[in-house]
Amino acid sequence: MQMVKNSLIAFIIAWLGILVFMPKQELYYKLEEELAKHEIKLNEEKMNEGVFSLNLKQVTVYFKGINVATIEEVNLFTLLFYSSIEVQSLTMDDSLKAMVPQEIERAVAKHSVLSSLEVSVDASGSFGSIVGNIDLNERKVHLDFNESKNIEMLKPQLKKDEKGWYYETSF
Amino acid sequence: MKHLFKPQAMKGLWSLLILLLVIKFIWFLVEILWLPTSGMEHAEEKSVKALYYRVKLSPNKAPAPTVEKKPVKVVGSIKDIILLAIYNASDVTVITVEYKKKTKVLSKGDEINGFMLEGAGSNFATFSKKSKTYKVDLFKSKKDAKSTSSIKKVPVTSPSKPVAVSKEAAGEIVDAGDHKIIDKSLFDHYAENMDDIYENIGITEVKEGKDLKGFRISFVRKGSPFAKLGVRKDDMIKSINGQEINSYNAAFNMYKNIQNAKNLTLIIIRGKEEMELEYEIN
Repeated sequence: MQMVKNSLIAFIIAWLGILVFMPKQELYYKLEEELAKHEIKLNEEKMNEGVFSLNLKQVTVYFKGINVATIEEVNLFTLLFYSSIEVQSLTMDDSLKAMVPQEIERAVAKHSVLSSLEVSVDASGSFGSIVGNIDLNERKVHLDFNESKNIEMLKPQLKKDEKGWYYETSF
Repeated sequence: MKHLFKPQAMKGLWSLLILLLVIKFIWFLVEILWLPTSGMEHAEEKSVKALYYRVKLSPNKAPAPTVEKKPVKVVGSIKDIILLAIYNASDVTVITVEYKKKTKVLSKGDEINGFMLEGAGSNFATFSKKSKTYKVDLFKSKKDAKSTSSIKKVPVTSPSKPVAVSKEAAGEIVDAGDHKIIDKSLFDHYAENMDDIYENIGITEVKEGKDLKGFRISFVRKGSPFAKLGVRKDDMIKSINGQEINSYNAAFNMYKNIQNAKNLTLIIIRGKEEMELEYEIN
């Protein structure tokens, strides 16, 4: 019993140690490097490292050198067995308004070890709200548009079933 | 306190400290070996955009002799003026007219054939001469043009010239010899609907290794307004209004600001030849 107790303490301490000592900024720089390979660059004004999270403020998103969006706040959070990325107040560039919704108030992508091959997505904005998932095994994205509002510009990319409009793609 | 310093408790504490040290050391190694120490900042292009003017110079021509201006009696009729296009904003009125088989762009106060442009409505322009007002309807052929004294509605199906009224990509591109005149409504339509551009013209990137060299026209749909611009398949776009188009950012910035343009000078490379194409938007 004592052995189990000690192991459990060691496990919790190791888990906490991994999270606390994790070089979050440097891991984010690595993520930036990977994104840059796909010509996506992120410029952030402020970066705050927390115990379990990394918080970015005033992030400008560039794709192929073009300023496509600005994000008020991005929060990257991990407990190893559960991770999430939360985006607050994403505004697309004005010139893209004919192609994509202008505002995303909040978008959250969550991953849990309980369903390790799936990332759940939840977003709300000028288009209404989206709930969906990314299937990492089948490499598919499925997003359901609930309370769809201004999605006229997206409709050519959307499909419709009895539940309403949805977006599906594979990668 | 006494309990804390028990050899067994101390051993456990040391073990945990060593465990934490090992974790820290592993992260340190990962950081040193695989992780970058600084982020990738995108440096926005802050290049100063050259002022763009279109100037026509007449080389080797002696300065015109100064001739004393004598009042010339203008003999002309309002019927000689054909109204081709109207651009009417709150602060500016610009029209395109055809006079003696030549296209001219007039703004409020400009004179043609002795008639001064006073203003314009949605489908007509008003001129004044000797305190009389004349109205010229849009796209009326010369022989049908009437003055205000005989106001007659212009039939929608009449013109031999282009009409730019519907919300679709309506409007025409008129060849004016050394340059082409693009109807403002047609221009605005494409400036606001990027998808419609790609249906009619294909533009692909040209790379040298990893670096973007420029953009090449991969196709131009026959019969589309783009075909009338004078660009062809395989033309390389060098610059627009003096702005080199050598990055996505430059191309996108041009697209973003193009709505304010009143004229465009497109420099293309066709084969080994560099060509300048000029357009007027009204």
